[in-house]
Amino acid sequence: MSTIASSPSGVRPRKQGPLVRFLRRDGAGYMFLLPWFIGFFGLTAGPALASLYLSFTSFDLLTDPRWVGAANYVRIATADPKFAASMRVTFFFVLFSVPLKLAFALLVALALNRGMRGLPWYRAIFYLPSLLGTSVAIAVLWRQLFAGNGLVNTFLANFGIEGPSWISNPNYSLSTLVILSVWQFGSPMIIFLAGLRQIPQDMYEAASLDGASKSRQFWKITLPLLTPVVFFNVVVQTIEAFKAFTPAFIISGGTGGPINSTLFYTLYLYQEAFGFFRMGYASALAWILLVIIALFTAFSFLTARYWVHYDD
Amino acid sequence: MDGNRGTEVVGLDDKRKPWVSLLLHALLIGASILMLYPLLWMLSASFRPSQEIFNTTTLIPSTVSLEAYPRGWFGLRVDFGTFFWNSLVISVLSVAGNVMACSLAAFAFARLQFRGRNFWFAIMLGTLMLPYHVTLIPQYVLFLNLGWVNSILPLVVPKFLAADAFFIFLMVQFFRGIPKELDEAAMMDGCSPWRIYWRIMLPLSMPVLATAAIFTFLWTWDDFFGPLIYLNDMRTYTVQLGLRSFVDSQGGQSDWAGLFAMSILSLVPVFFFFLFFQRLLIEGIATTGMKR
Amino acid sequence: MSLVIDRRRMLLGSAAALSAASLAGVSRAIAQETRLRLMWWGSAPRADRTFAVSELFMAANESVVIDGETVGWDDYWPRLATQVAGRNAPDVIQMDYRYIFEYARRGSLAPLDEFLDGTLDLSGFDQATIDGGSVDGSLYGVSLGANSAAMMVNAAVFEELGIPLPDNSLTLARLKEIGDEITANSGRQGFYGIADGSGGEPFLENFLRQKGKALYTADGELAFDVDDIHEWFELWAEMRASGACVPPDVQALDQRQIETGMVSLRRAAISYAHSNQLVGYQAINEEPIVMRAYPRIADGVGGGHYRKPSMFFSVSAQSEQKEAAAAFISFFVNDQEAAAILDVERGVPESAAVRDFLAPQLNEAGRAGVEYIGQLGDLAGPLPPPPPLGAGEIDRTLVRVSEEVAFDQHSPRAGAEAFVAEAQSILERA
Repeated sequence: MSTIASSPSGVRPRKQGPLVRFLRRDGAGYMFLLPWFIGFFGLTAGPALASLYLSFTSFDLLTDPRWVGAANYVRIATADPKFAASMRVTFFFVLFSVPLKLAFALLVALALNRGMRGLPWYRAIFYLPSLLGTSVAIAVLWRQLFAGNGLVNTFLANFGIEGPSWISNPNYSLSTLVILSVWQFGSPMIIFLAGLRQIPQDMYEAASLDGASKSRQFWKITLPLLTPVVFFNVVVQTIEAFKAFTPAFIISGGTGGPINSTLFYTLYLYQEAFGFFRMGYASALAWILLVIIALFTAFSFLTARYWVHYDD
Repeated sequence: MDGNRGTEVVGLDDKRKPWVSLLLHALLIGASILMLYPLLWMLSASFRPSQEIFNTTTLIPSTVSLEAYPRGWFGLRVDFGTFFWNSLVISVLSVAGNVMACSLAAFAFARLQFRGRNFWFAIMLGTLMLPYHVTLIPQYVLFLNLGWVNSILPLVVPKFLAADAFFIFLMVQFFRGIPKELDEAAMMDGCSPWRIYWRIMLPLSMPVLATAAIFTFLWTWDDFFGPLIYLNDMRTYTVQLGLRSFVDSQGGQSDWAGLFAMSILSLVPVFFFFLFFQRLLIEGIATTGMKR
Repeated sequence: MSLVIDRRRMLLGSAAALSAASLAGVSRAIAQETRLRLMWWGSAPRADRTFAVSELFMAANESVVIDGETVGWDDYWPRLATQVAGRNAPDVIQMDYRYIFEYARRGSLAPLDEFLDGTLDLSGFDQATIDGGSVDGSLYGVSLGANSAAMMVNAAVFEELGIPLPDNSLTLARLKEIGDEITANSGRQGFYGIADGSGGEPFLENFLRQKGKALYTADGELAFDVDDIHEWFELWAEMRASGACVPPDVQALDQRQIETGMVSLRRAAISYAHSNQLVGYQAINEEPIVMRAYPRIADGVGGGHYRKPSMFFSVSAQSEQKEAAAAFISFFVNDQEAAAILDVERGVPESAAVRDFLAPQLNEAGRAGVEYIGQLGDLAGPLPPPPPLGAGEIDRTLVRVSEEVAFDQHSPRAGAEAFVAEAQSILERA
């Protein structure tokens, strides 16, 4: 590690020439990255590689890991119904929560970006649900909203609809978690707001002078200039949704029930690791997730060149 | 507040007819109630006797009592004042660390040319993708060997080393939105990369820096898994850890009203941090306008 | 590279522990004091009591300093596992009946037999209690209190309908009648007689024990077969069909927490819990809650219940202060002043002397707990053999399969077959 850290490029200088060339060409970049390199090699890479190693072992946390080769991966691929179940749950969640949440966040950000009274308060209020994300209160509250005799059904009863017990019915329980996730749209909203604020004012002024209508300005200026931020939100929210843990953990009390209907992938991984003492197996699950997320992210970056507008 | 600033970006619909404004306010207020409901519910739960909390959806408590607040504040051996202070220290340090370290790394990725840039960028993004549950134990062993366990170092030092790739990526996206002619011109004038970063990038990036500050503060404040693992001594507990030590769903008596009372109080600092820092979100545009 | 060192230390374990210990040893030698780390799960009231007893112990033993750490149940286990894996476990560890075998069999806990001659005084404990904390013949945990499985009964409902509260003669057939009657007549909206117990492991265990079976044999095999489970699922299918118990989408709200029990949610008059939870139940219920024993499978059959250690104190195998830790535990379970502080918050004290001392000063709920355990009579049988590795996962599986049966994804027979097959494969894998 020390060799890499002291010469971050991995290029070992033999004579003066290449070093000078390196410093001139690449030096600034690596200097700015220095804190990150120290953190990465010192704190992040080691534990990550350790978990990769553990994924090839049987490790019960309390005794030493035992090398088992690819056995964990083989079992996941061939003999693990819970893996398939948790994959289905997670993909459903990603597919519905990410687009809904982002659409909501963008709409609200556009509405809140106008010059109007009380804006800071609105923004703060709209961010509130995201603040409560990990609170025990959310579990109690969501139950009271979405149970059979909860507030939602009381409301529906006004229209003569008799709703099911949304949160504890395996057909609907996952949807209530999607709703919870969409309701916590605060973070992408703030990022959209910051993106809108970054758009240079003079572009609009110039467009106005040219006689461009407001809606034309929106489609020709606002939206294109916002695409880097949209792209960021898509990539990051997708990653976060694949890794979603807290909502299911809190709402289902860590069980993923009823009948595995809210068994998110990371919740399953957590159960294996800390509930059933199979950290080796959980590590294999984690690395499979990493590969899946990486594929999705790579795909996003490939498409980005067709729709993301950078000013460089 | 900022209604008379006159610097605004074109949104979906920018007509200035009063009825549009009225409609928008009505919609926003309606939505606000949906957003506020849980808070109001928690507030009312903190006033009620514990027997009422789990069985009613109404917001009005049968009796209002403020007792849960002092009871909750002093409910654990160490009072919540200590927990608030601990959380505040960790959160403020994290904000400082994240904003500095991540903006440095982001500047390199967004603006500087160097070999291996794409490779390291991909690796950086990759660190976002591994669930933390499986790196927890190796990391714990690492920090234990460094002698950092039972201190705030494992929670704060990584922030100064840009360990949170989310913010690097976020800043990269914003830096790339800043017109490149600015730093090209500066480069012509003989400005060093450092001066470009310090004099051009940072001042023009107030909205994203404010965003990073807000998120870092809130997420650090809300985090419980890190403190759970690294802080042993109750005197070093954070607010979230204190809250989670309050009730026991398996065993004996639990002071639920006290829990909700302290949950309400725990929101106060983050709410005001948010209100304060979001002003920077707004000021960013003015600065941008002036500089150009 | 630091990674390699970490892994190796982790693999060898003792290296890291030794170096940490030697450092700690230096500071201790300077300070002339023994530091004990004590960790438990629980709520604020338990924290208060435990800290108070620690202070009492420190006042009596001036060279000892006890650092208490507490978190909630859900957070306790990942934190403990991480600390044990990192060779940084607390000296005194609060243990649960389920986990003590997992930890003891993997060598994470220290056997306490060597301290029984002097430091650790368990003379007031009966042998069955000591056995309850023993794994493979060695003592690994000192019980902090006894409890037993129990039904939480909303007495107000019974009074309203003029139904006499059940007593020790209650049978499963009678329980169904009671359930039907309450569901039909309670007049409360969405209210049923009893909770669905099909996914409750303690209830199933009680049922099996009355049939002369058990959950596990002494050598860690399943002690029941498909027919037993089929009968069990069939029994509850009938309860659901008649409306005696809650429908599946109501039962699924129950997450085995006090606040999600069917009685606490006001969806049924009877739900299933443990006797030390009565106080917690009463605290969040406006109507009076009483405890009753599980039903007999037929008149005159018993032996389903047993006195279960509600929680233990164990000593970490990594501890450098095992003797001092044992001394603290001994103080915790024997000292009268400590007992007065601790009350029956962790269950009914195991030491006969402490029980007698506490009896006159108990409050109503505390007395109810003591009396409940005392009057089980022929309903109680011997302590079952310790559960094998993997028992926790089988418990989770029972919940899931019972839900599959309740939501009509399986017939009771198919559910029983699925459960037994899965339980067997879990045992083979563990």
